[in-house]
Amino acid sequence: MNKLGLIIAREYMSIVGRKSFIFVTLGMPLLFILIMAVPIGLAYLNDKGSDVQQIAVIDETGRYAAALHSDDMYHFVAIKGDTVTNAREFYDKANGSLDAIVIIPHDVDSTGAVNIYSEGTITPAMVMNIRNALTDTIESAHLAEMGIPNIQQMVEKAHVNVDVRSIKWSESGEQESSTDVAMGLGFMLSLITYMFVLMYGAMIMNSVIEEKTNRIVEVVVSSCRPFQLMLGKIIGVGLVGLTQMAIWIVLLAIVGTVAGSVFGISNMSSPDAIVAGTNAGAAVEAATDAGVMDSFMREVLSINYVPIILNFLLYFIGGYLLYSSLFAGLGSAVDQPSDSSQFVTPVIMIMLIAFYAGMVCMENPTGPTAVWCSIIPFTSPVVMMVRLPFGVPTWQLILSLALLFGTALAITWLAARIYRRGILHYGQKASLKDLFKWMK
Amino acid sequence: MAYLDINNVVKRYEGHTALNGVSMQVEQGTIYGLLGPNGAGKSTLIRIINRILAADEGTVTLNGKKMTDDDIAHIGYLPEERGLYKKMKVGDHIVYLGRLKGMTKADAVASMHWWLDRFDLKEWENKKVENLSKGMQQKVQFIGTVIHRPPLLIFDEPFSGFDPVNAEQLKVEILALRDQGSTILFSTHNMASVEEVCQQITLLNHAQVVLTGSVDEVKQQHKKNIIAVQTPDKIEANDALFTILPPDPIKKNDKLIKLAAGVNVRDAISWLNEHYLLTGFTEVLPSMNEIFIETVKSKNAENNE
Repeated sequence: MNKLGLIIAREYMSIVGRKSFIFVTLGMPLLFILIMAVPIGLAYLNDKGSDVQQIAVIDETGRYAAALHSDDMYHFVAIKGDTVTNAREFYDKANGSLDAIVIIPHDVDSTGAVNIYSEGTITPAMVMNIRNALTDTIESAHLAEMGIPNIQQMVEKAHVNVDVRSIKWSESGEQESSTDVAMGLGFMLSLITYMFVLMYGAMIMNSVIEEKTNRIVEVVVSSCRPFQLMLGKIIGVGLVGLTQMAIWIVLLAIVGTVAGSVFGISNMSSPDAIVAGTNAGAAVEAATDAGVMDSFMREVLSINYVPIILNFLLYFIGGYLLYSSLFAGLGSAVDQPSDSSQFVTPVIMIMLIAFYAGMVCMENPTGPTAVWCSIIPFTSPVVMMVRLPFGVPTWQLILSLALLFGTALAITWLAARIYRRGILHYGQKASLKDLFKWMK
Repeated sequence: MAYLDINNVVKRYEGHTALNGVSMQVEQGTIYGLLGPNGAGKSTLIRIINRILAADEGTVTLNGKKMTDDDIAHIGYLPEERGLYKKMKVGDHIVYLGRLKGMTKADAVASMHWWLDRFDLKEWENKKVENLSKGMQQKVQFIGTVIHRPPLLIFDEPFSGFDPVNAEQLKVEILALRDQGSTILFSTHNMASVEEVCQQITLLNHAQVVLTGSVDEVKQQHKKNIIAVQTPDKIEANDALFTILPPDPIKKNDKLIKLAAGVNVRDAISWLNEHYLLTGFTEVLPSMNEIFIETVKSKNAENNE
């Protein structure tokens, strides 16, 4: 094995062999699940833990109180409008057994306004519950008043959700494309690139600083070229990242297969369908969902993945090389991780700009910001990911890739020059000026 | 031709010159001391020999050939600022360093076992470096330096951080390596160790060689014509021949005389022998420590003028 291979192998094993690697690799998906599950769980506990709210409904019209149905959270008691003259007195007399009073005024049909009174807190959930129930009922009542037979059905029939399908003309003819799925895919790819570059860039920097503080670095560079050490690190850590991704993909596949067989639902990827399926009496909803699923699947399948994945890999490698060598060069200039922030902050700022540019480009993937940011090498690895699913003109791809790889190699070369000097520089903190001197 | 020949090496940094035309010749199978105060350029010179840095001018030849990158396989280097990967196992670490120097895996493993055995570290082979005491880590570091049995060894302050027992063991190992034919370049501040192990020295100060030669020659050059005389009598000064110096606080029984200019030892001693009961006498040679301090101070004074 040559020296570069040895260095790569050591770097790889030094991270993968650690307990923390297994911990992080398995912990990250759990963390994501927790981040998603905790708010839902908390909301559930919040609702479950609160007492049933007693709400008196004073219906001056005498027609709409029935629209408010009692459930686990709210218990509505209808009270004839003419029996109560003073709502405040009524509330006080109830001596705390009432949480709120809803007054539906006799002119609700014209004003469309009802009032809720309470000494306690009126929660947004309560307001929403009452608003939804009354809106539907009063709307139906208005329609019925018009005296046109079957108006309800007519209105429902007239109601339409326009499905805008985008069809792309290409050399191979017409091809249905999807903006929603393309957007989702673009977002996912750019997020992966962004996270990967930041996470593993930081890992490389720490590894460089560690070797410096350990003082092992001089022993190692007396056996190999500093460039070999730097490159070995970049490749070794990159392989660690790929290993981690591979493990996550395998985990995802296992979880997906297990979940699929447990629920026995063919449309695995639709959470709506799963939720609907568990709800008794939601068969109709499930059926319409299946229709939505069909078009969703059609959209998913309509994307040509091969060029996207190939380009993703190219941009991923270019972007990783660019930023990781930057991090390695900067790491070599400091003695302690805590000193690195002055150099790292600008790099993270550039990454953030790239990320935000990516967000902007999702709305308009062919706008000037999108085009320029997908050609400028420092932002292109993230921004081009957003554009890829929508299709990018070949000349832009070639220009952008050429610039990215040209810049990545130039930065690697400059970083190697900084690294060569930086790793043997101890004591006085290197300034940006020093870094420029070292590049010469 | 010397085994390691450094010829007129110049290294400049922004704003200062680290080495200004340094030359030295290290003969095969000797221990060569590279001395000098902090900042004199020792580390820069050593890094140039190790090809970590490149010289701006001058040449370094090894065994008659101009050094190339491939030659670093023939060098074992123990830097002054040294360390190990804390999380690596002792055995793996030594093998890694050996293989980086171009050994095959099998050779490196065999050599690692031999050295661990020699330093009584066998049971630590599968322990992580961070679990070792500082002294043991230093030994592992030393093994990592010599594992590939390099013909040229460079030690920068090898004894720093060692307790006297381990330092003695290290000295024995270094001498054994020399006896097996290794050439050793030795950079240190510790003048006592220089006198004990080095045959030749070069003293660097302010990027230049200010003193070079064998330890004996250098001492002869710097002797002050002082003689320690052993006699029960009280000696009076004889201005024509010598003056009396205050006695060395450590050897109070010896009377120190300094010969006057142009007087040789025989004349002074024969005169003393006639007048006093002389039981013995020795010529006092300066220690390397004194020579070091004296040379550096006088050169610095010259530079300040």
